Amino acid sequence: MKITVELTYAMGKALGANRFEVENATTVADVIEKTKARFGDKAAEFEKLTKIATVAVNGVLMSYRKGKKTKLTDGDVISFVKAAAGG
Amino acid sequence: MMKGYAGRTLEVDMAARTFVFKPLDEDQARLYIGGKGYGTRLLYDRTEAGIDPLGPDNPLIFATGPLNGSVAPQSNRFAVVCKSPLTGGIGNAACGGSFAYGMKRAGIDVLVLLNRSNTPVRLEIDGDAGNVRFIDAADLWGKGTYETQEILGKKKYHAVIGPAGENLVLYAGIVSNERIAGRTGVGAVMGSKKLKAITVSGSRKLEMDDPDAFKEYTKWVRGMFKEHPVLGESLKRFGTAGIVGTTQARNIIPTKNFQRGNFDQAMQVSGEYMEDHELVGVKSSCIHCPVTCGRDVEVEGVGRVKGPEYETVALMGPNLEIGDLKKVSKWNYLADDFGMDTISLGAVLSFAMELHERGDLDAGIRFGDPSGISDLIGDIAHRRGLGDDLAEGVMRMSRKYGGHDFAMHVKGLELSAYDPRGSYAQGVEYATTNRGGCHVQGASMYLESVGPLTINPQNLKLKADIPVVQQNLACAINSMVLCIFTTYGMIPKFVHEMNPDSFAHKALSFALENSGSLFMKSQQLKGKPMLWWEKWLTYITGEPLSGGHLQEIGGRVFNLERMYNLREGVGADTDTLPPRMLNEPTFKGMTSGHPLGQLLPRYYKNRGWSPEGIPTAKTLEKLQVHV
Repeated sequence: MKITVELTYAMGKALGANRFEVENATTVADVIEKTKARFGDKAAEFEKLTKIATVAVNGVLMSYRKGKKTKLTDGDVISFVKAAAGG
Repeated sequence: MMKGYAGRTLEVDMAARTFVFKPLDEDQARLYIGGKGYGTRLLYDRTEAGIDPLGPDNPLIFATGPLNGSVAPQSNRFAVVCKSPLTGGIGNAACGGSFAYGMKRAGIDVLVLLNRSNTPVRLEIDGDAGNVRFIDAADLWGKGTYETQEILGKKKYHAVIGPAGENLVLYAGIVSNERIAGRTGVGAVMGSKKLKAITVSGSRKLEMDDPDAFKEYTKWVRGMFKEHPVLGESLKRFGTAGIVGTTQARNIIPTKNFQRGNFDQAMQVSGEYMEDHELVGVKSSCIHCPVTCGRDVEVEGVGRVKGPEYETVALMGPNLEIGDLKKVSKWNYLADDFGMDTISLGAVLSFAMELHERGDLDAGIRFGDPSGISDLIGDIAHRRGLGDDLAEGVMRMSRKYGGHDFAMHVKGLELSAYDPRGSYAQGVEYATTNRGGCHVQGASMYLESVGPLTINPQNLKLKADIPVVQQNLACAINSMVLCIFTTYGMIPKFVHEMNPDSFAHKALSFALENSGSLFMKSQQLKGKPMLWWEKWLTYITGEPLSGGHLQEIGGRVFNLERMYNLREGVGADTDTLPPRMLNEPTFKGMTSGHPLGQLLPRYYKNRGWSPEGIPTAKTLEKLQVHV
C-alpha cells in the first residue's frame, strides 16, 4: 500500500524532500513514524516543524476524522498543513 | 460636513467635455460611508433599468472614503462602480496603488464620469485650481499600462487602462501603479468612454476630528501589524501566494479547470518558492502600506515588475496544470500591462483548454503545456481571432461552444481560486455575492478552511451564517475604503501560535463551530469602537462606529446591490454554483458536490429575505434602503 506524503514548503526545505511516498502505513500515526524514520538525524527538526502544522488526509483535517488513528487506504495523500492567508 | 471627507464630488461629461463640482451628500455618506457603498447608491439613483453597460448611459464612478488620504495602513484604495458588462448586474472593483490618495489630495471624494467621448482622451484634474483638462490621447491609445504611466509621469497619481480596456475585453480592469481594479469589467466601461487615463493632483490635507488620537492609535496598530504572523510575517515574506501550500493540502487549489483540488507541482508556484527563486524585491506596494504584500520579480525581456499573487499563480498555474513560476510571472505581467483581470483570464484559458480536450473547440492550447498562451493573451487583449471569443468571458463562451457544466463562473464572473467543495461557506458566498463568483467580498474561507482558527468546512454548521457577516463586513470595508487584508489581523497572534492539534485550539474551534445563532447576534451588537477600522473611522469622522454599526451599514450596501441586480434582471436563479461544483465530488467518500441547496434557505432567512431570495419590505425599511 502506497501513501503520498506532502510536506509544507518550510519542512521540505529543511528536510530536503517535499513530496514522497511511504509504503505499508495503515494509519496517520504510521505515516508520521515512517516519515520521522526517513529523515534519520533530522527527525527532531521534523518533529519541531510539525508542532505548528496539522495533518490532512486527502484534504480533510485528521481532527475531523479519527486523528492519528485515522485508517488509510492505498493512494491516500497525507499533507501537512499550516494556516495561511492569501488574496 | 463630517471630517475625513473632502466634501465634494466631481462630475465630468465626457461627450460635452464639461465638468461641475458638487457638494457630497452628507446624508448618504452617513448611510453608506463612501467608496463602494456611496458609489452603488449613486449608480442606482442615476440610471434607468436596462442600460447598455458599454453605452453612454453607464456612469463610471470612482469613489473614496474617509480613511483614504490618511496614513492608516492599508487605507489607500478606491472603489470603482458601474453596471458590469461581464455580468449585467452590479459592477465594482477596488484598487490600491496611489490614485485614492491623489483623489483626496485633489479634494475629491467621488468622481463621476458620464456619457462618452468619440475620440481617445485623457483627463488631468487639478483639484486646487478646480479645473479639468481634456487632453487628446491618440498618442497613448494602444499602449500598455506600464508605458502609459511612465509617459504620464511616475510621481503623479493615475488611473489608466491598457489595450484590453480599449478593446472592450469584458474583464478589463483599471490600473493604478501596479495594482488593478480587476473584476467585473470596469476597464471596459472606461474604454467605452474612450478614456485612456485620469491624472489627479492637489495639495489638500485630510482633516480629522481627533488627529492626535488617530496618530497615537495608528502608531500602535503599525506595531501590532509588524508583529502579526500574517500581516507582518507571511504576507510580507511570501505575498499572497504564501497560501498555495495550504489550499493544496486542503484539496481546494483549482486544478485543471477545477477538476481536482491538488496539483503535484503546486509548491513550484508558491510564495515560498518565489522568495527562494524569483524574488528581486518588495518595492511594489500600495502607498503608506507597511504590509508590502506585492512581490517584485524579473521577467525576461521586460525587467523588474510586480510578481503574481495567489489568485494568479493558482488560476494560471495548477488550474492550467502548469508548475512553472517564470511562465506564470510573464503571463501576469502581460495581463497587468494589457490591463485585464488575471482571475477571469485564468478561468477563460482553462475553460478553453477543457473545450479543446473534449474536442469542442480548436483552442490551440492544452493543459500542462505553456506554449501558445502568451500569444493568446495578446490576442484576447486585442480581440484577434479566437481571442475575440475568449475576451467575452466564460459564461458567453459556454453559450457559444457548450460546456455549461464546467463553465466556472457565478452570475458571469469567473470563480476565484478556492474550491467551494472543500469550503462550504465560501461556496454560499460565491453563489450570493452580488458581483458574482468572488472571494474578496467576504473571504469566508479564512474562517473555515485556511486560517488559523478553522472549523470543519464540510458540514452545514455556520456555513449559511459566516457569509452574511463576512459579506457585510467586506461591504463596509470597501466603503471606507480599506484593504480586505486588514481583517486578517482580527485573529490575534496567540491563536496563530497555538498547536492546531492542542486541546485549547480544538476547544476554540469547537466553540466557534457550535456558536449557532449566537455568532450572528454577537456581530450585530452596537457598542464602542474596538477594532482598528472602527477606531480610525471614529477618530477621523467624529462619529463613533462599532462593529454592529458597520454590520448594519454593510448590510445596507449589500441589500442595495441586491436590489440593483434584481432591477437589472439578475435574480435569485443566479444564486448558484457551476454544475461541476454541485455535482462532481473531489473528496474521497464524497458522493456529490457542494450542498448549496441545503444552505440557501437559511442564508435567505439570515438576510431577512423571502424564501424566493427577495429582500422583504421590512428588511429594506429596517436598513433604510430606499428603492
